[in-house]
Amino acid sequence: MNKFDIIVIGGGHAGVEAASAASRSGVRVLLITHDESKIGEMSCNPAIGGIGKSHLAKEVDALGGLMARAADRAGIHYRVLNSTKGQAVRATRVQTDRDLYKAAIQEFLQSSENLIIKEGSVIDFKIEESTIKSVITETGEEIKAEAVILTTGTFLGGVMHTGLEQSPGGRVGDPSSDKLAKKLRGLDLKVGRLKTGTPPRLNKHSIDWSALISQPGDVPTPLLSYTSKTEDRPQQLNCFMTRTNKKTHQIILNHLDQSPMYSGVIEGIGPRYCPSIEDKIMRFSERDSHQIFAEPEGLNSDLIYPNGISTSLPLSAQRELIKSIKGFEKAEIVRPGYAIEYDFFDPTGLKHSLETKAIKGLYFAGQINGTTGYEEAAAQGIMAGINASLRIKNENAFELKRDEAYIGVLIDDLVSLGTKEPYRMFTSRAEYRLILREDNADSRLTEKGKSLGIVSDVLWKNFQQKTEAAKQETLRLQKEKLKPNSSAAAKIQKLSGERITNNTSLYEMLKRPRVLHSHLPQGSDVLERNVVDEIEASVKYEGYIKRQKTDIERLQRNENTPIPNHIDFESVVGLSNEVKQKLSEARPESLARASRLPGVTPAAISLLMVHLKKERRAVG
Amino acid sequence: MNKRTIIAPATAPGRGGISVIRMSGTDARKISEEMCGQRVEVSRLKKCNIKSSDGLTLDSGMVVFFESPNSYTGDDVVEFHCHGNPTIVDLVVEEALRLGAVVAEPGEFTKTAFLNDKIDLAQAESVADLIHAQSKSAVVAANSSLSGDFSKKINLLIDGVINARVFIEANIDFPEEEIDEKSFSVINSDLCKYRDEINDLLSVVKGGVRLREGYSVAIIGPPNAGKSSLLNLLAREDVAITSETPGTTRDLVRTSVNLGGVVVEFIDTAGVRENPADLIEAEGISRSKEVIRKSNLSILVQDVTDQRDFDFELTDHITVLNKSDLLQGDSLEKGRLYLSCTSGEGVEDLLKVILSKLGVDEGVETAYLSRKRHVVSLQGAKLLIEETVVSLNEGQALELVAENLRSAHHMLGDILRPMSADDLLGEIFSEFCIGK
Repeated sequence: MNKFDIIVIGGGHAGVEAASAASRSGVRVLLITHDESKIGEMSCNPAIGGIGKSHLAKEVDALGGLMARAADRAGIHYRVLNSTKGQAVRATRVQTDRDLYKAAIQEFLQSSENLIIKEGSVIDFKIEESTIKSVITETGEEIKAEAVILTTGTFLGGVMHTGLEQSPGGRVGDPSSDKLAKKLRGLDLKVGRLKTGTPPRLNKHSIDWSALISQPGDVPTPLLSYTSKTEDRPQQLNCFMTRTNKKTHQIILNHLDQSPMYSGVIEGIGPRYCPSIEDKIMRFSERDSHQIFAEPEGLNSDLIYPNGISTSLPLSAQRELIKSIKGFEKAEIVRPGYAIEYDFFDPTGLKHSLETKAIKGLYFAGQINGTTGYEEAAAQGIMAGINASLRIKNENAFELKRDEAYIGVLIDDLVSLGTKEPYRMFTSRAEYRLILREDNADSRLTEKGKSLGIVSDVLWKNFQQKTEAAKQETLRLQKEKLKPNSSAAAKIQKLSGERITNNTSLYEMLKRPRVLHSHLPQGSDVLERNVVDEIEASVKYEGYIKRQKTDIERLQRNENTPIPNHIDFESVVGLSNEVKQKLSEARPESLARASRLPGVTPAAISLLMVHLKKERRAVG
Repeated sequence: MNKRTIIAPATAPGRGGISVIRMSGTDARKISEEMCGQRVEVSRLKKCNIKSSDGLTLDSGMVVFFESPNSYTGDDVVEFHCHGNPTIVDLVVEEALRLGAVVAEPGEFTKTAFLNDKIDLAQAESVADLIHAQSKSAVVAANSSLSGDFSKKINLLIDGVINARVFIEANIDFPEEEIDEKSFSVINSDLCKYRDEINDLLSVVKGGVRLREGYSVAIIGPPNAGKSSLLNLLAREDVAITSETPGTTRDLVRTSVNLGGVVVEFIDTAGVRENPADLIEAEGISRSKEVIRKSNLSILVQDVTDQRDFDFELTDHITVLNKSDLLQGDSLEKGRLYLSCTSGEGVEDLLKVILSKLGVDEGVETAYLSRKRHVVSLQGAKLLIEETVVSLNEGQALELVAENLRSAHHMLGDILRPMSADDLLGEIFSEFCIGK
């Protein structure tokens, strides 16, 4: 019988990061997928990044992950969103060529040591004493492993809807993993149902491009990965934009009874933030127009992804609505849009390591946990891969805190709160937003990645150089002073509107509003954008970050107060039954985690604190 | 509902017409029915014989039942109204304990009400205030806080700040969804409105803090000017030791006096000499300085026959010339305060001046009884909202605007439902007496 340390089931964005991270950490990994050629497939829109998501992608990158590097190899259009706002909320968004992306991911995996890829489909698990032992494939082969990471995305019990027609499956052309779904439903795990959708794909040559608004990418063109180089990037393309109009909206309203969502056929809950065009028109009835981005699917692709009009109306209605849009009058639908319903497992059944509480050695990552988005999937994938490897090595789980990474926010939200709609990342989910930035993901995480043994030498060297450069430059800014009557000072004075009366360091100058590093007299070293960004952000946010750090320290006390496993929440005096039930179900591992459970009030935490104190006294 | 059933006398110990015993929790109903030998009825006083397990009648009284959640604590509550005799009360409580109840901790009834969301923290605090209120205006103000008027105002402010936060956060997280520029100016003017409302609320709340905590007045002056004599006069009993030897008052002596409905605490300080006789006296002097700093007002007492320089830094003070009995009638200057601690002459005038200096106007009603922590939170929130408005106008980065609003939200939230579980709650509920 075959035997591996870890088996990863699924070759999507979570699966590939999990398999790669585990193999980088030196354990033997098997990746099982339906179709090897589809590993790294972007099944929804061809873009990586965006608000909150680019932060995740950069964090995965800072831990040595694949996503950002693959995106740079495939990136055909880059924009920095929120560029008029501060560093913390700026976000890179990359349009990619699907084929190049997939090719890059597959190349990274093929060059991984200790990693074997197998085509097949897992239909059963063997579990003994609540511990995973092996998986069984459709051919009846049993493969043993000490840990199994399940990243099956929307394949579980997936149903696709186009109009009122339904067909089983996770993605067009892929079989749904029904047998596995049945097996999992039999385990002690809570299952929920969600839905998501995609727009119809259009033929590039049938669009009147002259009627669309052209959007060039940003110059200078940013990169997503800390280790990518400009020459890794393919040729850059423009993006184009158009809008829906009153006529479009009328067509949708006329066909609403044929939408599975509104006729009550779909029971799952769809994402609030990436709604279907039907949703948008119903929810924002006061608006008579919505944006559509005509995104090219790839350099050599004839497909256009009209981002903003995901729909599950029948094909005839989709044709009608497309034709009502400026520039799309003669557009040809190559593939209709559809909605997909799928199962997910309530993530409150997971530990922070992403291991299921019910079955030891079984980890879940990606859409299966109720998230939406490639970046969210990748972030969970890398963490599950790391933690499964640590389990093999008998080491403590690797967890990131809410003030350390968006990854920490994501996982903590999922396992503490669960989710009622597909979970996507936003900057507003992070209470320590000013600390968690694109420019410092490496400063926050690369050292940790190094000690886990999962970052490459190139990344490590780059990181050390960047850190040193930032240190030297900060010293220079603190040492160099501007004289009040100098021309440089006059420039700063004009920018900030505040008078300069004394000799003032460049560092102090940078604190002033509207003053950027580029406005200051430059040193002799040419600095990378990343270095400048990190310095600018840490100077500008200094006061606020100090305030956040005090908050963090205050909370840390609770974070460090463990709630012992054996505690009987029923015996805590004063707690309401509702709170007792919530605590008993979630079994939070620390006071701070308990406090983040919905419905657990600060007063309840006080009582819990008193109880723990009493108990410690009794034991000690 | 709470599995622990708590019991305690709700009325003060001692003999009187009636004593009320309150019991709250899951078994309250069962225990009381066993003790009374009959079913209790919701919100209806029923006559009953309260019996012990061996069948002896402990008292003939009344019993009333409040069914969860319509009770003070939100759990099932039973009240026994028995004859006002501490022995009876003890016997009834003991019987309930035998049947499974436990003695309530101080403030546990109110704490349960808070935990069951019957009241918020500001309301819970006002329960304690109501019990401790020493003047009519304090009672009126505590009731106003308890009824939730103050909480309602804070909740409205919180809703407003949340509204602004939602708008700002949406602008950060959905930069591609066009949000109209006009809304920015609406948010801006809303925030200015909240700032003004907090300002108004602050002046009321500050008055409320003084009403709750009372005022303190330091009595200061050179040695042997008669400071301790004045304190004794005010207290109408010998609180401070007086003697002919200068430097007698080395420690602080305090006495509280109810002046026209407000409680004023007078603090007698050590006299200040250029060369303190010893270390102990020097220590007393440094304490005096601290008292002066913390007081609302100081009274500088001078011996009219021996006025000396007094070079303490004084902000708000009244100078009173003592030992007027040693003067000839014609040498009194107009517009100055004279006093004789021996005869008591001049004390009425002095009190009038003190009250007017403290700003105690009996005509004005203070709306709420408040605490320092309310003032601190409101001031913090005001400052943060002011910063927000400035940064919006200056076109500062939106994430910093968002940061300030988040902190303002937490500050306001802390007043009603503290976000941090520190020991705040324990502190607040420890002020209660058992039975509340």
